Amino acid sequence: MVFSSIPFLYYFLPVVILFYLVVPKKLKNAVLLLSSIVFYAWGEPKYVFLMLGTVLANYILGILIEKHRGNSLAKVYMTMSLMFSLGALGYFKYADFFIENFNRATGLSVQLLNIALPIGISFYTFQILSYTIDVYRGNVSAQKNFITLATYVALFPQLIAGPIVRYIDIEKELKHRTHSFEKISAGISRFVTGLSKKVLLANTLGELCAFFQGTTDKSVLFYWLYVVAYMLQVYFDFSGYSDMAIGLGKILGFEFLENFNYPFISKSITEFWRRWHISLGSWFRDYVYIPMGGNRVNKVRMLVNIFVVWFLTGFWHGAEWNFIVWGLYFGVLLTLEKFFYRSYVEKSKVFGHIYVLFLTAVSFAIFGAGSMKEAVSYVGGMFGVNGLPLVSQSFIYTVKNYWLVLVIGIIASTPVWKLALTPKTEKVWAVVKIPVLVVLLLLTTGFLADGAFNPFLYFRF
Amino acid sequence: MKKNIITTVVFALLVFGISVLCVFCPSPGFSESERRELASFPEISVQSISDGSFMSQFETYATERFPFRDLFRSIKANFATKVFMKKDNNGLFAADGHISKIDNEKNPAMMKHAEERFLYLYETYIKGKTDSVYFSVIPDKNFLLARENGYPSLNYEEFIDEMKQKVSYMKYIDVTSLLDIDDFYTTDTHWRQEKITDIAVKIGNEMGTDVMATYKENVLDKPFYGVYSGQIAMNFPPDEIVYLTNETLDNATVTYYGNGIPEKGEMYNMKKASGKDPYEMFLSGTMPVLTIENDNAKTDKELIMFRDSYGSSLAPLLVSGYSKITVLDTRYIKSEAVGSFADFNNADVLFIYSTTLLNNSLAIR
Repeated sequence: MVFSSIPFLYYFLPVVILFYLVVPKKLKNAVLLLSSIVFYAWGEPKYVFLMLGTVLANYILGILIEKHRGNSLAKVYMTMSLMFSLGALGYFKYADFFIENFNRATGLSVQLLNIALPIGISFYTFQILSYTIDVYRGNVSAQKNFITLATYVALFPQLIAGPIVRYIDIEKELKHRTHSFEKISAGISRFVTGLSKKVLLANTLGELCAFFQGTTDKSVLFYWLYVVAYMLQVYFDFSGYSDMAIGLGKILGFEFLENFNYPFISKSITEFWRRWHISLGSWFRDYVYIPMGGNRVNKVRMLVNIFVVWFLTGFWHGAEWNFIVWGLYFGVLLTLEKFFYRSYVEKSKVFGHIYVLFLTAVSFAIFGAGSMKEAVSYVGGMFGVNGLPLVSQSFIYTVKNYWLVLVIGIIASTPVWKLALTPKTEKVWAVVKIPVLVVLLLLTTGFLADGAFNPFLYFRF
Repeated sequence: MKKNIITTVVFALLVFGISVLCVFCPSPGFSESERRELASFPEISVQSISDGSFMSQFETYATERFPFRDLFRSIKANFATKVFMKKDNNGLFAADGHISKIDNEKNPAMMKHAEERFLYLYETYIKGKTDSVYFSVIPDKNFLLARENGYPSLNYEEFIDEMKQKVSYMKYIDVTSLLDIDDFYTTDTHWRQEKITDIAVKIGNEMGTDVMATYKENVLDKPFYGVYSGQIAMNFPPDEIVYLTNETLDNATVTYYGNGIPEKGEMYNMKKASGKDPYEMFLSGTMPVLTIENDNAKTDKELIMFRDSYGSSLAPLLVSGYSKITVLDTRYIKSEAVGSFADFNNADVLFIYSTTLLNNSLAIR
């Protein structure tokens, strides 16, 4: 089930909220767990057992790790947790990728497994590993209550598209959390904002992208227009989903960490990755990069560390070469910034922004492609190497059709509205906020009831 | 604090209120505006839940049967076009008082499919039996609407030229020069019968027969909301259907072969005129085979017409020039079965299709 759907908004959510509010405190986690299982099973009826099996295995291993903390058995159990969780991820997400490449390299034709990817497996695998690793490190105690641990992993607000919430961050809230009108009101506001970002902006920009992909009337400027629209689509889709997750979390009494912070205003790629998918970047930093030695090693080893992390970041996004190249592309840029020129680009206000937007645009052309071959074609198209004309009829039409959505998207991807906040405008906003949110909810409902374009971008994650 | 309570209460009422409406007052099962049956509540079973079909069908049900869905669709369409200033909504656009659908991609595979099916018919039934084989293409109304209004469009001239080359064994009859945008319904894809009498005369002349052009105009006493009307989800005034009659048409005998069994019927089916798609009143709409016999014809010439839905309103206008017209729609009858219904010896044969179908010809069997 996805948040931006009629079944979620008007069937699932009201029932869950109602039950959640009426049951006594000690049953609230059970209600959340049950509803999260329904939420997950709605899209993945069979794989719900895989998710619960992963939780059960790590629940037992967490207890064993804690029990043997300080001796070699803890390491064995930690290794088992890694093998079990990453093994499932590897089997379901990457097996066919490896078989395909093995076949290509050897000329053999090993049968593909053709396994459907369990939705959200990359997210919940990383969440549960953050738990067992933190238990191993002694940062948190093992959770003795299976329902509490399963609630943490399966919690429907962040289950299928993040943010990657760490156990340590909500450990206390899993046991005791407070509910207030202030939090609920803030959660509603955040949820409706995220829903609007996803349905009104991301989906409309997605229409542009789909039109571009479906037409043969391409041109160089059309490639650029597509890439800009795609960057904004992914940003509003993903950050909108994170907003919805954070908002729902607040309504249910949780405080999830922020996942996006206006990444397109960055002046360096390093800054971009501090603002884009923050929970993933910090996960790799804390559970891969730093354990490998991070910056506290010699330069060669540090380079290895950086490229391992960015290889994995790319691969995490999808089992295709274009994702690996996309990750390594950022690895190269971050290395160059680290060793050569970051301070220079960050000094210049204008150049830094142009630099980031240009390089991220190229990265999104690679990211949005269905394969490496397509990625090469997309990047080639942006630079006119495919012999395309500069403009085409479809490009001109698309500009006329989507110019305002693009302008709104560009403005909304910056914190420019904060500049407009004065004591006077804040008063006005306080008055109109509720009607604006109501209108936004009804508008998004109109888009959803129309059955308009509503893609699910996280199927690869 | 007060504001937070108000926000919470307002949204609780809104979400729970809509939720109650969803459960107890879903939209009707038939959409008048979209002229189609909407999804019904899916069957619940262990099988349908375990394979996920219940969930996907429920999502369709919940979306299609959403209370006041037409109102919400209209809000969406108006927001997209008036606030976001989009030039189309769901690929449909309004220009020069018409609604049309963007169709700018030529589909060579579909054109090839049509070519192969026509060649099969020609070689199987027609070759050696008659030399009077004609081909005509009806351009979509985008031909007269899209480019002029800045919408992406198929290159119709190039498309028609290409199709002409593919069926070079037929004589081509050009009707494009006689068309203007008023020849089409404003809310529908089809052409208006009362506006295409000149086209019927031209086709008749090209095929060497005289076609009468004097008719009485009859106005259907029901507004016609064409196929685009519901899809665009914006308030657009309906069309009116005018159908033509004269003595020849009144006296002609129409026989339908809906299930292969002959059944006498009307040229203009008034039951269908009151149905979900009133355009189907012309020769009863989707019909695999039908014949129109004109006992008062001054000739014994026969016409065999392969056509799509545009042919339904055209065929009656050719009746005066023939003693019998056999109208075949190979979307609903296999080409292999055509021989049982038509005698091609010395007959005129006309293939007349819209660019819309030729560019999406998979339905031609």
